Amino acid sequence: MTDFSKMNRREFLGITGKAGLATLVASAAGVSFGMVQVAEAAGNSRLTPFRFAILTDAHLYDIPDHKFDGILKKAVDDVNNMNPLPDFVVYLGDIGQSGKRTELEKGKRILSKLKVPLKVIPGEHDWYLDMGQAWRDLFGGPTWSFDHKGVHFIGMNSILVRDFWTMKGLTPDERMGFMEELECHHCGLWGVREEQLEWLKKDVKKLKPDTPVVVFTHSPLWDYYPRWNFQTEDAPQIREILSGFERVMAFHGHVHQVVYNRIGNLSSVGTLSTSWPWPYPGVELPFPDIKMNRVDPGDILDGLGTQYIDLEKEFAGALHYDTWADLLPEGVKKGVKL
Amino acid sequence: MKSNTKGRLFAFTGTTVAIVSFAFLAIEPAQARKPFTQDELAAQYKDLMATVKEGDDLWHSAKLGKNGLACANCHPDAAASNPHTFPKWQANLGQVIPLRDMINWCIQVPLEGQALDANSKEMKALEAYAFYMHRGFKLKPGENTKQHPPVEVRSGAGYP
Ligand code: HEC
Ligand SMILES: [Fe+2]
Ligand SMILES: [Fe+2]
Repeated sequence: MTDFSKMNRREFLGITGKAGLATLVASAAGVSFGMVQVAEAAGNSRLTPFRFAILTDAHLYDIPDHKFDGILKKAVDDVNNMNPLPDFVVYLGDIGQSGKRTELEKGKRILSKLKVPLKVIPGEHDWYLDMGQAWRDLFGGPTWSFDHKGVHFIGMNSILVRDFWTMKGLTPDERMGFMEELECHHCGLWGVREEQLEWLKKDVKKLKPDTPVVVFTHSPLWDYYPRWNFQTEDAPQIREILSGFERVMAFHGHVHQVVYNRIGNLSSVGTLSTSWPWPYPGVELPFPDIKMNRVDPGDILDGLGTQYIDLEKEFAGALHYDTWADLLPEGVKKGVKL
Repeated sequence: MKSNTKGRLFAFTGTTVAIVSFAFLAIEPAQARKPFTQDELAAQYKDLMATVKEGDDLWHSAKLGKNGLACANCHPDAAASNPHTFPKWQANLGQVIPLRDMINWCIQVPLEGQALDANSKEMKALEAYAFYMHRGFKLKPGENTKQHPPVEVRSGAGYP
């Protein structure tokens, strides 16, 4: 597997340089671009079109031959059979259910069958038994960035809560038990917290405003439904740090459903799990047409899926939900424009 | 629980006596059961909440099934359980069923567990929790066209 963080950044700049030129030629040939976009092309900031895929929320149990093992394997096979193959896969958290090393190891084993490189961020289910120890051992640091074909990709750990266990004298198992419940009454809101905000500021400091930026977090970067931690407490600060970019695409796990929002320069898309779907909370969706159908509980593959994103050279593109059952309304089947 | 049942019986006989004596020219006003006192109401409420709590615990427990899953994996805050729409025709069973049959179906299929006795304490508790998380909802028996979020919960368990 290629580790993108170790890749030479200049390689990518080289590629984007060519793409930029191609665009300039296109605009000279009569395709209309705004001034800003032409400047963008001149600034070598456009990307070479490519695909990447997202898998998330497998919630593996420490039970042999559990039904969720099979679903994750199926998802991995699907990604391996994609045409074109994605350049890489990002996994958006909740590999395990109860944070056990054995669950995470099982996940790593299954995911190692992917034919393309993998990047991973943690979810709350991966973390709160041993405060991320096993996860770090297996997957490395939870905060990273890399450049690929002109796009700057960022992954962050958004599931950090304030200490609710020490005062209560909870054991690690009890702490994990609380965190396992979506509607945990004691856990409080999640966020990426100060250290990662500082890291993010530094990470994007040298980038030009027209750089295509993609951000991955486990939870959404907007206030969707805080009761179920369908939120990230410091998302406003994250959005502020990224506000200087022309366009930012954000993808998140955790919600186990189709959902979309757009705030300022940032588009945010929710992803399908490979375990179970979640019903919509009792709030209005910002884009009510971008949702999934009700699920047949008699079909264990209904409500689940994988997704791939095809990025075009102007840093546009669409997210496609790839499902096994008839889950998507016609409009969403065509892909969600980013 | 017991005083509750007794109370209902009392009220019933009281009413009967009232009607009968009225028919035979009421000489002295028959005494229906006195309204529940605040203390009695508080005791009944406490009983109900204990049942709801038991249901909440079961709803969040893997012990109903065999694959580690709990109802709450897929129904946080009892969302999408739509208790107020039962009885209704259920596609997976091909017939009209009460809520408890759907609860048992979900125990057997998604949880891969053993169906509960329909009159068991556990089943009553699960129903109590599901209904209490939909308190104030209009009854819509038969409704199969919508999935409903539960009552709005801002903090805590969603009940006192
Ligand atoms: C793996 C996921 C999953 C688990 C676990 C699960 N269910 Fe369900 N259940 C569903 C889905 C999906 C539906 C269909 C929701 C809809 O109608 O939109 C459903 C439907 C229901 C309904 C009927 C809702 C309606 O209007 O038809 C009830 C009641 C219910 N579940 C109760 C339970 C109970 C009680 C448990 C635990 C014993 C449980 N479920 C566990 C997925 C699950
Ligand atoms: Fe999840
Ligand atoms: Fe999660």
